[in-house]
Amino acid sequence: MSRLATITVCPEVLARACHGEGAARQALYAQLAPATLNLIRRMVGQRALAEDLFQDTMMIFYERLGQYRHEAPIGAWLRQIAVSRCLMYLRSPWKRARLCLEPVDGGVAAEVAALVTPGYAGELIDLERALASLAPTARAIVWMYEVEGYSHQEIALAFGRSVSFSKSQLSRAHVRLRLLLEPEVQPPSCLI
Amino acid sequence: MSDLNSRPAELPALLRALPEEAAPPYGYQEFERRARERARRSRGLAGGERLAAACVLGVGLLAVLVRLGVPAGAANPTTPGAPALVRAAPGPEDETLPPHAGLAERWLASLPEEPAIVHVGTRAAVLGLEDRIAQIDDLLSTARDNGDAAARLATLRQERARLVGTLVQVRYAEALADGSL
Repeated sequence: MSRLATITVCPEVLARACHGEGAARQALYAQLAPATLNLIRRMVGQRALAEDLFQDTMMIFYERLGQYRHEAPIGAWLRQIAVSRCLMYLRSPWKRARLCLEPVDGGVAAEVAALVTPGYAGELIDLERALASLAPTARAIVWMYEVEGYSHQEIALAFGRSVSFSKSQLSRAHVRLRLLLEPEVQPPSCLI
Repeated sequence: MSDLNSRPAELPALLRALPEEAAPPYGYQEFERRARERARRSRGLAGGERLAAACVLGVGLLAVLVRLGVPAGAANPTTPGAPALVRAAPGPEDETLPPHAGLAERWLASLPEEPAIVHVGTRAAVLGLEDRIAQIDDLLSTARDNGDAAARLATLRQERARLVGTLVQVRYAEALADGSL
C-alpha cells in the first residue's frame, strides 16, 4: 500500500513540474493524486467532500510548487497541505454547526455508507464501519498516528491542542474500535 | 479513565490493509478545468464581495444621515449676502419626536411579541466535555505517576468534578427536552 509520504518522484520530472511544464505536472498528478485522495477520504469520511478538499489541496500544491525547496520528500510536502486542508475543514464553524444539528445515529450511518469501499468484502468492512463510527476528530487522529506515522507532538501541533489531547483521543478511539470489532458475547441465559 | 494499553496490536496493520484509491477521481485535464472554473468563480465572488461592501457602506451612510438628520445647511444652503430663511414654527409632533421616529416605530411594531426559541443539538457540547474529561483523566494519571504535589492533584480532581457536573446538567437538559423525565 503506497502512503503519500513515501512516494518518490523522479527528480527530473519534479524539477520540470516546478518550472511549470504541463506534461511533468500531469505525470506528478497521476503519481500523487490517488494517495492524496485516499488520505483526505480517510480523514473527512465523505467521498464528495473528500473530492472537494482534494481539488483544493491539489490547486494549492500546484500554486506553491515553485516554492518547494526539496527539504522533504514531495509526498510528505503534499501530505502536509492535505492534512492542513482537512483540519481546517474539521475545525470550521460550519462543520461544528452541522455536527450539532445532525442526529447522532443518522449522521454516523451516512458516513459509514460513504466510507465503506464498494465491492470489498471481509473483516476490513467491519473495520471501515468501526472507523466511520468514530467522531471526525478521533478518526483523523487514529489515521494520522497509526497509518501516516505522525507523533503525538505533531498531531497536537496540527490541532493546536495539547499532547494529552492527542493521547486521550487516540486511547478512547482504540477502546471504541476494540469494542466495535470484538464479537459480542451473549450473557448466559438464566432459566427459572 | 483512559487506558493506553488498550491499543489493539494488529490495528495499524489492519488500517494499512484497508482498500486504497487506485486512481485519481478524475484526470488531470478535468482537474485543470475545475481549477479554472473555481478561480473564475472566486474572482466573481470577489467582485460580488466588493459590490456587497459598497452596498453595506451606502446603507450605513444612509443610516447615519437618517440618525443625525439632514443638516440644515445642506437642505437650505445659504449664500453670503442672501437673507436667512426663517424656519417655520415646529408643530407639537416635531418637538417631541425626531424625524426618524416613525420609521423606528414601524420597525418595532414589526418585531414579534415573543422572542424566537431556537433548538440546538447538544452533541458538540457533550463531545467537548467528554474530551476535556478524558484530558483531565490523562493529566491526573501523569500527575500521579510523577508524584506531583497534592495541591495539583486536588485542583485536577476539582476541575474534573466541575466538568462532570456540567455534563450531568447537559444530560439532564437533554432528558427534559426529550420529555423523558
